[in-house]
Amino acid sequence: MISNVTNTVTTTRTIRFVLAAFIALSAFAFATQISSAEHEPPVSGIVVGVETDDNGNLTRFAVSDSTGTVTTFTIFDGTEYGLENQAGDRWVSTQGEEPSESARRLRDHRERFAPITVVFENGTAFSVVEREQGKLETNLGYLFAVFAVTWALFFAYVLYMGRKQRVLQHEIARLKGKIG
Amino acid sequence: MLNKVLDLLDPLLILSAALMGVALYLIFIWVPTETNQGAVQRILYFHVPVAWGSMLGIFVVSGSSFMYLWKKTEKWDRLAVASAEVGVIFGGMMLLSGMIWARPVWAVWWTGEAKLTTALILFFIYVAYLMFRAYFPPGAQRQRLAAIIGVIGAVDTPIIYFAANLWSQAHPPLITGPAADAESALGSDLGIVLTASTVAFTFLFIYLVQTRYKIRKSEDDLVELKRAVSTSAMTGAN
Repeated sequence: MISNVTNTVTTTRTIRFVLAAFIALSAFAFATQISSAEHEPPVSGIVVGVETDDNGNLTRFAVSDSTGTVTTFTIFDGTEYGLENQAGDRWVSTQGEEPSESARRLRDHRERFAPITVVFENGTAFSVVEREQGKLETNLGYLFAVFAVTWALFFAYVLYMGRKQRVLQHEIARLKGKIG
Repeated sequence: MLNKVLDLLDPLLILSAALMGVALYLIFIWVPTETNQGAVQRILYFHVPVAWGSMLGIFVVSGSSFMYLWKKTEKWDRLAVASAEVGVIFGGMMLLSGMIWARPVWAVWWTGEAKLTTALILFFIYVAYLMFRAYFPPGAQRQRLAAIIGVIGAVDTPIIYFAANLWSQAHPPLITGPAADAESALGSDLGIVLTASTVAFTFLFIYLVQTRYKIRKSEDDLVELKRAVSTSAMTGAN
């Protein structure tokens, strides 16, 4: 029985070490993620121009960022949208699925001065989302919060188990000595 | 039999650590950032596995409780308690991670929609089970009544799983399992990461239950020792 208890204490110490390693790895992964995210920054700003064809389908749009720089983006069938109306209802679709709705949504954003974030490559927009939700640094804060809080809980639980086991081990050893 | 299996599970520590390392690599480095939600979508790879762990926990509690009612063997009762304690940790993490995800995506911390409410009920079932065991006087009656609570508690699990389909409210639709909608199922990259993370958390869950089970056994051994000490003291006095 004593050897079983000792074994449990040893494994509890080991799991503490393992959990510490997980947290360190998480921190490393965050650092890597942040550095890779900075490689190709998306453009955020307000919509200043929306261009459509004769059928009312979106062809191009322009965004002015916080420095006043205007960037024009072309779109393609795979361009993804995640935009909200004033009530906060989110519309998620692609250019190919709803070619005219995207123009209507972007005009709505232009009228409301609602900021958007555009992920693009060579002037072609790949995704157009709400500024607040596409804001990488804000999202990383929430992501960090989830991992910090939950791993702290795991760690606290393991500490609790370790302490409990130590008390038990001490008490069992004391009673064993009493019996002789 | 159960004790032998639990003794063999020690390599689980190494295995779960390795799997967790792989899962973290996949979550933060390998998988691309989802375009609509951005980095916050990566919470999914944590939220879904801990939600799975909390549901697995209540199944183990229920199964062990049923076995205890049938066999009246202490080890099943110990396994139920160990699983309930680890399950409440996973359940708390499920709620916390869901709330933190909901804030940037839904702009609220909490809403009274069906999936969230049934998940909260599962958390309360765990808490009720553990509180009952903590405050009810020790003995066979406590174990029997706790086992009944444990068996009944599992009823909530299928309701949680199907809640998103049954009520179609704000919570994202099912992306894994038999009732998942094909259109909303995860793409191949996301699916791989989610599977890896779920496997890693499952092994972590089993390891924590195993450790808690051993502590529970030590507690029982201590009670036996105290009884032996008092008996020998009484014999000595006579």
